Amino acid sequence: MSSYLLFLILGLGSGATFAILGLGLVLKYRSGGVVDFAHGAVAMFIAYVFVNLRSQGVLPLPLIVVPDHIRISSTGIDTTLAIVISLVYAALLGAVLYFLIYRPLRFAAPLTRIAASVGVMLTFEAIGVLNFGTTSQTTPPILPTTPITIGSLTFPSDRIFFTGIVVVLAIALWLIYRFTRFGLATQAGAENDRGAALIGISANRVAAINYVIATVLAGAAGILIAPVANLDPTSYTLFIVPALGVALVGGFRSFWLVALAGILLGMGQSEIIKFQSQWTWFPHGDIPDALPFILIILTMTTRARSLLARGEAMTQRNPSVARPKNPMASAAFCLIAGTLIMLLLQGSLRNAFISSLTVVCIALSLVLLTGYVGQVSLAQMTFAGVGGFMLGHISHGWGLGFPFSLILAGLCAVPVGILVGLPALRLRGVNLAVVTLGAAFTADALIFNSQGFAGGLVGLPIKPPHLLGIDLSIAEGHDYPRLIFGIMVLVVVILMGLLVARLRRGAAGRMLLAVRSNERAAASVGINVPQAKLMAFGIAAFIAGIGGALTGYQQGTLTADGFATFASLGLLAVVYVAGIGRISGAVFAGIMMSSIGLAVTFLDERFGIGKYQTIVAGLALIVTAIANPDGVMSTTTGKGPAVLYFKLQDAVVARIHGTVTTKTPAAESEQPAEARPAVEQPHHV
Amino acid sequence: MTGLTPKMPLLDVRSLRVAYGGVVAVADVDVSVAEGEVFGLIGPNGAGKTSMIDALTGYQAPSGGSVNFDGRDITNMRAHRRARLGLARTFQSVELFDDLTVDENLLVASERAGVMLALRDLFLPARAPDRTNVDWAIDVCDLGGVVDRYPSEISHGQRKLVGVGRALAQKPRLVLMDEPAAGLDTDESLALGQRLRSLPDEHGVTVFLVDHDMSLVLAVCDRLMVLDFGHAIAQGSPAEIREDPRVLEAYLGSHGTPVATTAAGSGS
Ligand SMILES: Nc1ncnc2c1ncn2[C@@H]1O[C@H](COP(=O)(O)OP(=O)(O)OP(=O)(O)O)[C@@H](O)[C@H]1O
Ligand SMILES: [Mg+2]
Repeated sequence: MSSYLLFLILGLGSGATFAILGLGLVLKYRSGGVVDFAHGAVAMFIAYVFVNLRSQGVLPLPLIVVPDHIRISSTGIDTTLAIVISLVYAALLGAVLYFLIYRPLRFAAPLTRIAASVGVMLTFEAIGVLNFGTTSQTTPPILPTTPITIGSLTFPSDRIFFTGIVVVLAIALWLIYRFTRFGLATQAGAENDRGAALIGISANRVAAINYVIATVLAGAAGILIAPVANLDPTSYTLFIVPALGVALVGGFRSFWLVALAGILLGMGQSEIIKFQSQWTWFPHGDIPDALPFILIILTMTTRARSLLARGEAMTQRNPSVARPKNPMASAAFCLIAGTLIMLLLQGSLRNAFISSLTVVCIALSLVLLTGYVGQVSLAQMTFAGVGGFMLGHISHGWGLGFPFSLILAGLCAVPVGILVGLPALRLRGVNLAVVTLGAAFTADALIFNSQGFAGGLVGLPIKPPHLLGIDLSIAEGHDYPRLIFGIMVLVVVILMGLLVARLRRGAAGRMLLAVRSNERAAASVGINVPQAKLMAFGIAAFIAGIGGALTGYQQGTLTADGFATFASLGLLAVVYVAGIGRISGAVFAGIMMSSIGLAVTFLDERFGIGKYQTIVAGLALIVTAIANPDGVMSTTTGKGPAVLYFKLQDAVVARIHGTVTTKTPAAESEQPAEARPAVEQPHHV
Repeated sequence: MTGLTPKMPLLDVRSLRVAYGGVVAVADVDVSVAEGEVFGLIGPNGAGKTSMIDALTGYQAPSGGSVNFDGRDITNMRAHRRARLGLARTFQSVELFDDLTVDENLLVASERAGVMLALRDLFLPARAPDRTNVDWAIDVCDLGGVVDRYPSEISHGQRKLVGVGRALAQKPRLVLMDEPAAGLDTDESLALGQRLRSLPDEHGVTVFLVDHDMSLVLAVCDRLMVLDFGHAIAQGSPAEIREDPRVLEAYLGSHGTPVATTAAGSGS
């Protein structure tokens, strides 16, 4: 019996971390409706600041290439001092992030705000990986760990301190926000800016202070957990998932509930590990990691419909959506251009181009789902992974040949897409992003980690494609990657592009865009909104599944690393930057920006700078969200290069005209047309 | 309008009650709208007019009473299914699809796209969409000049008209309009009135009109009902309503001007 209790008590360590992270998320939300996906990443970075200060006397900076640290002392410095410096550091970081990123985006569309915070998350994770490496670090305990014995139970005393800290924090926050003028101003500011002004405190300052306190809490959580759980950039960044779950239980409001939920979650996870070791019948696999997701789903579906609705009635519009002008001509052009590129390239670059094409395919699914229908999905790679691994099972076990195996693999992803889409019937915007992130995280832990489904570390072998006696496989002897394989991939991806283009131009596209624009109005014209959303999730999952299956053919033996949560986040980043409302955005993202794509591979081979892809993508995502939500490939709106080019052209033309006739009314009358929301030619099919 | 055999009402509402928590917005109201009439609903701000439309069209669950449409109980039917039965509506705040052109706004309404249509559209050979109702709605609402524009590019008055056009493009049997004339100038309002008047007689669309513009409502409607604090305080022909002392006291009396406008409006 006592050993069960012991595991519960041991779980207090991570439980306290979740609780403190959750409390920080509540503060950030209160300070202007921010749901910050970067919260865990910041905790991770501050944890590294602390560990480096303590062990080496080095102060890491959130920079790369240029000096990324300052040496304060030649040896490590005192633990208490290190903690103080780290927390001050966190406060500064919080203020900078708030004023640079979150403040300007207060009234932005949900997708824009999600994109920005995912950008911060990716950037910090990338800095972590570049500066501190991926091998996990340990640091000696901070709190006293002298064993405590109660009855037959012996456990380290730091667990008691952890719990104490959480309780003290929760009480302190509750008192501050309940009884001080600052707390009242926060409350009022949560309603609107003027509310806070009435109390006599600048809303701007209140929100900033809240954000700073939240960031300090994130730092504290990172520092506290560092001695207990091995420190590495990825897993700490993903603490955001349990933290979000915990904050949701408290409705992003109640400090008490958040603290309690955090502690219980930590204890629950720990106890499950005990169960798994104790009882053979208890399901194996990474169930503890699935627990936060279960929490998220339960609260999301049982609570009121729009948990985080504030800020959803945004004043800024969604990214623009383009209407493909002439899909068949574009497809023909892509086929010719793609084949030429394939012919020109050899070896690793040709392989990288093929990888680009698979990314384009998955990116197309995101353009459809998030661009056209406005359903933010952070789980797109999960759908791809399901398609990829199902292809392995289909091609080997079920004896089905290409192209049926490929189509069936895509179809297998459909139910998964619909399942992940189900919460979207009640949730929108950031709520949905939270759920899909949780789903991706859980799929990592449960599905892609499993020996049976995904082949474990070795991977799952996939039978090479044959069609009508023609060998389409990627390798034959030393010929790798083969041209014919590349062309097969090219054709499939172009077909998927045509599917998306056709969807956009037809009744389906109108229906989905109507849903994105206004769900109430969509219902008023007879559109079944839930059904439309599920259809979008289903089709998107199909396209992503096909993309994953193509990756499977390409790799021969498919492993799960390409489908991890961070891959989904990275995909959102590159597609958003390139232009999430247009097919050209997917193409640009896959070829020019993806970490496994052509451009990055080329730059890496030539200049060895491929490792900077994530940080560039993360930063580009932040900048795009703030400055140009329509993306690089937008030709009519925003500040993308294409728009700049056209503006420049207009200016030059006007200048030339100007030398002939002093005033050109024609050039002036074109100005309003520039401001048109994106879409291109009027249509009459 | 009154024949020898009374027609079965197209819309039949019995003791409809809408409450938000403790606030009763609509208190046990009976309404019946016959096929082929223009029925008006007026009342001061906060009287419960929008709440009533919301309850009739499935946007707000009523806390009591029943709604029958064409002999069918639709009290608990979901909004999009009511729309498919032929019960269209407009919104007080217009709510167009900002990402679609005016033409597409109407087209998407006329298509009533479901998953089956969407999938057929995706995988089977292309067919030109059926534009009959769209062209009709463009014609009725005189939207020819703005079909290729986006809602953000046209005037408020035009947006209101597009809202009406979008409801009509579904070729509904009954259209409920929430203050379609609000924000329009007198000329636009008059033109709108004429169009609405022609709907039942020429196009077979019954109209349920909510508006503040007294001259419009009194000129256009066959019958009307006055709502005050959620209660139906009067019902009858425009002439009867104009005379009704309760109405004068509760509504018109507090706004002296609308009566004057009415006289001026009907005089011109
Ligand atoms: N969602 C809601 N929650 C609580 N009360 C509401 C809600 N919507 C409306 N009310 C209240 O119900 C009453 C009726 O509102 P409603 O919008 O139906 O009036 P209305 O006649 O349409 O007014 P207006 O002429 O201003 O459009 C008002 O007192 C309003 O404050
Ligand atoms: Mg109203």
